[in-house]
Amino acid sequence: MERGRFRFLENRLGIIASLYPWVIDIRGNPERIAFTLHRITGIILVGFVALHIISTNTPARAGWEAWVEEVQRLSGVNPVSLLFFIAMGALVFHSLNGIRLLLVELLALGIGRPEKPKPPYIPPSLKGYQRTLIYIVSILSLIIWALMGYVIFLM
Amino acid sequence: MVFDLKAATRTPPRVVRIRVRRYNPETGSSWWQEYEVETYRGMTVLDALLKIKAERDHSLVFRYSCRMGVCGSCGLVVNKRPRLACQTQIAEVASEGRPVVELEPLYNFTVLRDLATDFTEFFRKHRFVKPYILRRDVREREEPTLEYSQTPDELAEYYEYSLCISCGLCDAACPVYASDPNFLGPQALAQAYRYIADTRDELWEERLRLLDVEGSIFKCHFAATCSAVCPKMVDPAGAIQRLRSTLLKYKVRVYRKTRVAKVVPPMEKREPQKPLPPEATLVEGVDLKLLEEEKPVIPVEKLLTS
Ligand code: SF4
Ligand code: FES
Repeated sequence: MERGRFRFLENRLGIIASLYPWVIDIRGNPERIAFTLHRITGIILVGFVALHIISTNTPARAGWEAWVEEVQRLSGVNPVSLLFFIAMGALVFHSLNGIRLLLVELLALGIGRPEKPKPPYIPPSLKGYQRTLIYIVSILSLIIWALMGYVIFLM
Repeated sequence: MVFDLKAATRTPPRVVRIRVRRYNPETGSSWWQEYEVETYRGMTVLDALLKIKAERDHSLVFRYSCRMGVCGSCGLVVNKRPRLACQTQIAEVASEGRPVVELEPLYNFTVLRDLATDFTEFFRKHRFVKPYILRRDVREREEPTLEYSQTPDELAEYYEYSLCISCGLCDAACPVYASDPNFLGPQALAQAYRYIADTRDELWEERLRLLDVEGSIFKCHFAATCSAVCPKMVDPAGAIQRLRSTLLKYKVRVYRKTRVAKVVPPMEKREPQKPLPPEATLVEGVDLKLLEEEKPVIPVEKLLTS
């Protein structure tokens, strides 16, 4: 911003604030990490969906043999299955956390009731059961992701 | 805010290094400057800054007014966390192992000089949500002769949000506000909800329509850092979720504000209360008749000496 001979500094953190939670001290705030993961997995999913559309029209483009060959590449350890595995992890976290966010953002559930400040001064929305849901979502998605890894790489 | 309730009982390191991110608007240069400050027990970050200004460097610029966490003008980023300088003790943010306190101007604001930031935009957004009670009858609002009646339950619905001191810490912490200057920000949105939840306010429909725009509630994605840093436990994140759900319900036509406060004559002009019937017991568990018969003896001398 400029005014006369003064130039003022825009101190915006910018996009980095949504992609890297530790630009500020986030003690007592795992919601911020969930928010960041939701963003990152969302970006991964956009890429995945684009590739997925290209790959599922293989039969029309190159015939069924090419399709079978492509699907076979999804199991066993190779770069394609590795990318697929990452996309599946993103999918699981994004969908489970999405359910939590629907509860919180659409129905305003899990954020407690408004209350008068009292020690130890933790606002109700950080004490509500959405906080528990974060832990449930993370553990559940790790388990499902591991199972998917087993199916993709080892079966 | 996650308060360190024990901070006041601890002694800070004897000498701390205060690193200040400075900025000069004439040359456009920004640099870190370090000052060593001798501390005392109970010293706040603001005390340290004042000491530097008095004894070491009078060119250091920062803003403060009340020194007791009420005015909201001393917001800073202390060790990467937005805090009120006057409410943060040195013992809370520095330890013997790391006697360093890093001070930066509030993120997401325009820096005027050193630690002072520009709040013009912040208050423009605050004004945008009309932070005052609106009634259909303008006369009643401007020249009130009557009072609004409100029950304690109705007060509890919004009391928490009315504690906001407009310090801007929540906007400094918000990741959406960091990348989108047009976002209204947690402070303004929490205040918008505060007036919608207030039963004394009548124009809730206009308020909801005002917020149904780009860059308003639907930009929030519940990172909840605003609530985590708020020094007054206002819980802007919770307010925004309630506001969004209210607006969505209003859009699908299942929401109406049912409770709107009526105007009543002031208390003193009301009809005198009817006297209680003689058989009513005023205090539960106390035998009034017995009390009247033998007056309890209050040991005044004992109370005074102990
Ligand atoms: S909501 Fe809290 S952090 Fe935000 S301006 Fe108000 S008092 Fe400050
Ligand atoms: S000086 Fe008033 S809030 Fe810190």
